[in-house]
Amino acid sequence: MSSPAMEEFLARLYTDEPVLAEFLRMPSETARAAGLSDTEVSALAGADRIGLVMAAASFRAKRERRKSRHRLLLWRMR
Amino acid sequence: MAAVAGAAAVEGRDRFGLGWRPELAAGILANLDRIDLIEVIADDYFNAARRDLRALRTLAAQVGMVLHGVSLGLASTVPVTLRRLDRMARLIEATGAESWSEHLAFVRGGGIEIGHLAAPPRNEASIEGACRNLGCAARIVGCAPLVENIATLVAPPASRLDEPEWIERIVCRAGVGLLLDLHNLYANAVNFGDDPHTFLRRLPVERVVAVHLSGGQWINGPNGVRRLLDDHLHDVPPEVFALLRELGRLAPQPLTLIIERDGRFPPIARVLEQLDTARATLAAGREAAP
Repeated sequence: MSSPAMEEFLARLYTDEPVLAEFLRMPSETARAAGLSDTEVSALAGADRIGLVMAAASFRAKRERRKSRHRLLLWRMR
Repeated sequence: MAAVAGAAAVEGRDRFGLGWRPELAAGILANLDRIDLIEVIADDYFNAARRDLRALRTLAAQVGMVLHGVSLGLASTVPVTLRRLDRMARLIEATGAESWSEHLAFVRGGGIEIGHLAAPPRNEASIEGACRNLGCAARIVGCAPLVENIATLVAPPASRLDEPEWIERIVCRAGVGLLLDLHNLYANAVNFGDDPHTFLRRLPVERVVAVHLSGGQWINGPNGVRRLLDDHLHDVPPEVFALLRELGRLAPQPLTLIIERDGRFPPIARVLEQLDTARATLAAGREAAP
């Protein structure tokens, strides 16, 4: 049920907006196309869709904040 | 329990400290008489210059220091790389830190970096993966990390276990100590309809070695749904202090407590006030113990 393939798929949902949008439209088809097993595909059918959207947005904001912080650190080191 | 005893247990008393952040550094250094230890984000120093590591070592000689990792991704079915563990081992050696911790999270998959801590599916496979990674971490670094529960805005897809059972099985099977983040616990409980105090009582509190306190804010999602985001940008809320009091009542062992703040930094006096509240709250919990 949990596998490197599942983790890769979740990482993609959290970082790739078009893939998340496609998953929200067609969960089973998108998961199957990503190479997940039938068991994994059905386990994702009842996924917390609102939570996925909120988590992806939060991760995106954190990545942006980290980039800004990194730029600030580089500037301070000049 | 000896295997998971932290420095607080060795010293035989509760200890109270702050997350080390550049914005708080001056205030921390000016108030070392009120701070027992600091927690340093390890990842900020993996590529540090020698002079910065020397400064950290000098700091560790003045105040207790623990390291906190954020990027190992130990709760994963993918083995953690030896290179990442080796960096942690070298940093502990270079700084003289007394212990280290990491999260029960995965942070990447298939070469994709999520950029933050994500909750893996809570099931047998992630328990197996986490325990394997924790064993490897202990061998390479020389000591096992404390493991921290994370906050999540999404109920981890493809899960078969609830969070308290998943955490309990990992820490007991791996024989590691728990760094219990009470705001993460609180946020997950309220976000997914659980009672925070029931959640706390279901955890193996005898394995709690350290505690994180922080704050967050409610955010809006689709369809009018609101969830509590653990952002470390706000004061510790009363509900989290209430959980700390309950933990003090349930767990007799000495604890190391850290307040985390990552932004919107208040004056150091305000942070120290929160630390004093934590001290008094834990003491009140201890006094209420049966």
